[in-house]
Amino acid sequence: MSQSEVNKAPSAGSIVGMIIIGAAAVVGGAIIDQQKMFHGMEDSLHHMGIPLEIGKTIATIGVFLIMFKILHLFFFAPLFEAINGRTSELENTFGEAESLRNEMTQLKADYEKRISDTEASAREQIQAQIKEAQDLKKDLMADAQRKAEEYKQQAIAEIDAEKRKALVDLRIHVTNLSLQATEKILSENVDNDRNRKLIDEFLSTVEVKN
Amino acid sequence: MLPFALGLSALGCGIGLGLIGYGAMQGMARQPEAIGKLQTAMLIALAFVELVFLLTVFVGAGAFKP
Amino acid sequence: MEFLVNSTWLMASEEVAEAGAEAAHGLSFAGLMFYIAVTLLVVVGFLAVAKTGLNTRFFKKPTTQLLEQLYVFIEGLCVNIIGPHGRKYIPMLLTLWLMIFTGNLVALILHAGPTADLSFNLAMALIAVGYVQYEGMRANGVLGHFSHFAGPRLPIAMALIITPMIFIIEIISETMKNVSLSLRLYGNIHGGHEAVVAMNKLGGGWVPVGDFLFPIKLLTCVVQALIFCLLFAVYLSLVTHHHDEGHDHGNDEGHAAPAH
Repeated sequence: MSQSEVNKAPSAGSIVGMIIIGAAAVVGGAIIDQQKMFHGMEDSLHHMGIPLEIGKTIATIGVFLIMFKILHLFFFAPLFEAINGRTSELENTFGEAESLRNEMTQLKADYEKRISDTEASAREQIQAQIKEAQDLKKDLMADAQRKAEEYKQQAIAEIDAEKRKALVDLRIHVTNLSLQATEKILSENVDNDRNRKLIDEFLSTVEVKN
Repeated sequence: MLPFALGLSALGCGIGLGLIGYGAMQGMARQPEAIGKLQTAMLIALAFVELVFLLTVFVGAGAFKP
Repeated sequence: MEFLVNSTWLMASEEVAEAGAEAAHGLSFAGLMFYIAVTLLVVVGFLAVAKTGLNTRFFKKPTTQLLEQLYVFIEGLCVNIIGPHGRKYIPMLLTLWLMIFTGNLVALILHAGPTADLSFNLAMALIAVGYVQYEGMRANGVLGHFSHFAGPRLPIAMALIITPMIFIIEIISETMKNVSLSLRLYGNIHGGHEAVVAMNKLGGGWVPVGDFLFPIKLLTCVVQALIFCLLFAVYLSLVTHHHDEGHDHGNDEGHAAPAH
């Protein structure tokens, strides 16, 4: 807007010129009024009911021209300056606010982006941790199962061994007992190899039945 | 005769002013958003109609004076 | 203030004595100058008080706010009627408004005033019309301004007869602008006083019936000042609105004008 240059204060030359013209008009009007230069015309106008006096008109024009420039210089120019200054200041303030707002929006977008990035990375890390833990858990479980199986196998083997041993012991014992019993019954020593074999054969048939 | 003639001119001026007011009021009632422009135009028209009466009073009546 | 009123009455009574029996007689030269001085005193006083409240932030002083309101009003008048280039006529319109409105108020309160005198009003009208001619010449050039008087371009045969007629009619209408502006103001303000005086007689000297017209006279003061400025702006727009369309003056206004 070019209003600030449109409503600038009048130049000194125009003020002085206007004041001179105005003063001349005032003096001229006074002289015309004094000398009654247009008396004939004014009289005829008065007769028609029109109270016109040329001298007063010319003097008023002079006063108005002087006042126009003086009012413009002393009062209107500061007023326009103040109002234009205020308008431009408002414009500046609004422009600043606008740029600040843009900056804020930019910053906000940045922060939001950063926050979402951080969140995503945190989630990834957590997922990775969880996966690791799950792997670990699976490993541990497998390990434990394997060990339990091992212990179980071992226990079973031991039990088998003990059982076998116990069976052997029992057989020996039973063999001894039957030999003793047979000795007692026969009151003679039957502890020879042939008998032992016999009993063993018998026992094996029994075992099979078991 | 003069007062009667002035009354006649005032009658015409009054009719003209009334017509302008009538038209402007109707326009304003129909388009309330155009009130500003209508008021300006109405005032100008009123001023011109009024001028006719003033000319009658000052020029015509003065010429009638004995 | 008392002194002002007293001296005004003194002046007015002197006026009456001077005027004698002739009814339609204005103020004397000194009397008119006195009332103009009163008007200017009021105007300058108001402006001087308002000027102390000027700043670039927010006008807190009531008179300054009033002046700002006036400025906004005149600016609206200029921009709405003349167009965006009308801002440079604000000082003239503001001065005219202040002088005429304050003159009306002085005439209203002191029962005699500058605008109740035809000579003052004719001076205002001459200033207005002269300023319009000056601005027209500045906007269109001297020849362009006078060719504007001559109406539209016509074929030679018709132009010989019609153009001088249009020219004469335009000149007469320019003269009648003076008469209409001045007579309207004078008739309204002076006629208001006459009406008050005439209606006061109805009360038989006891009841001042005419003084109850005060509100309507106040309204007349505002409306007449408004009409004067409005018509001035319209005349200005008529003279300067070709400036943006027809004549290649470049865009020294700095901005494009909307279509008229």
